Amino acid sequence: MDSGRLSAWLSAAAGAPVAILSMRRLSGGAIQQNWLIEVTREGREERWVLRTDNPATLSHSRPRAEEFALLRAAQAVGVTVPEPLFLCADPGLLGAPFFVMREVAGEASAHANVKRAAAAGGDPALAAAHGRELARIHRIRPPREDLAFLGPPPEDAMTAFISAMRAALDAGGRERPALEWALRYLETTAPPSLPPVLCHRDFRSGNIMIDQGRITAVLDWEFAGWSDPYEDLGWFTARCWRFGQDGLEAGGIGPLAAFLAGYAEVAGWQPERARLSLWQLAATIRWAVIAADQARRHLSGVERSLELALTGHLVPQLEWEALTMTEALRAGSA
Amino acid sequence: MQEAPDAADLLATARAVVLEKLLPALPAEARLEARMVARALEVAARLIADRSVPRCPPGLAQAIRAGRCDGDAAVLEAIRADTLARLRVSNPRALEG
Repeated sequence: MDSGRLSAWLSAAAGAPVAILSMRRLSGGAIQQNWLIEVTREGREERWVLRTDNPATLSHSRPRAEEFALLRAAQAVGVTVPEPLFLCADPGLLGAPFFVMREVAGEASAHANVKRAAAAGGDPALAAAHGRELARIHRIRPPREDLAFLGPPPEDAMTAFISAMRAALDAGGRERPALEWALRYLETTAPPSLPPVLCHRDFRSGNIMIDQGRITAVLDWEFAGWSDPYEDLGWFTARCWRFGQDGLEAGGIGPLAAFLAGYAEVAGWQPERARLSLWQLAATIRWAVIAADQARRHLSGVERSLELALTGHLVPQLEWEALTMTEALRAGSA
Repeated sequence: MQEAPDAADLLATARAVVLEKLLPALPAEARLEARMVARALEVAARLIADRSVPRCPPGLAQAIRAGRCDGDAAVLEAIRADTLARLRVSNPRALEG
């Protein structure tokens, strides 16, 4: 990476002299790169993270310019995100578009964060903080010129969800009757969806940075889209995202009631159990579909990986959960 | 006739080596992958031993979508049996507790 050209660009973007003190590659896999850059801006030290793509990779994740726009929109409504600083849409400078955001302290590891909360018997305050963050995200409503890349909002979010899952199952090439059974249940029983809002669509432990019991950033916006707010509520609270802490219904972090109270405090309305259950079922179906898709990446040779291979063996458990949830809902006991 | 030990024995023996000998000797950053290797050997052993037969006929997915199986207890029972058989292979621990 040419730090001379980069510091010149950063200085122009910041409207102030920026000098790069150090650059270090952080995490990031085959597709993305994250760099920690220590700089001085007008003589004051700051720590930034630069996010870009590997130039040669075909990326499925949301292009950087769109991620930047989502971060800005989220920041504007008070969501705790890494402050987006500068976007460079020109691939000429680093080989691919990139953006720069402020570094955030904390840890996003789901296992570490869930383990810490569970050791204290659950963290109601942190669960409530998750609810408040989610409600802030849901303040963003269509139409939004700056988020036009998300496409038009669905007429009915649940109907759109069912169609998307069926299309993904067809593309997967393997019949999954348990998931079909659960989708058919949703199709025949779900009430009309709520008007669409911006949903994060991967709001769960593991994508939320936590430092000393406080949320420092909501990360990983690449699945964001217009949907029913219950889609996010169901995803966060579904059993499959509690990381072994089944009793802590709010993401393995804390009690459901605290999470929903935090949500209601900001949203101004109280989520109801019946709709939440339907979207928890939807979350289980979606994770099963994604897990099957990840195994297919391994099987097809696109990305040979033991982790992806083992993810395929999560699918029967998720199918079983979807089936069990469906029958419990039908019997009226969920 | 194959030479002994059979696949189940070899996989179980290899898994014990990974967990008991290799894992404690590995640096922290390699342990997750070693656990994944042990898990893969365990699932593979159950896959080889699996004698269950498919219970859901081809085309069932489309029939369910079209509403032709709504309320059909026999179909539900077949789906349950089929899913359970695969779960017992992939992750039987999910059925405990």
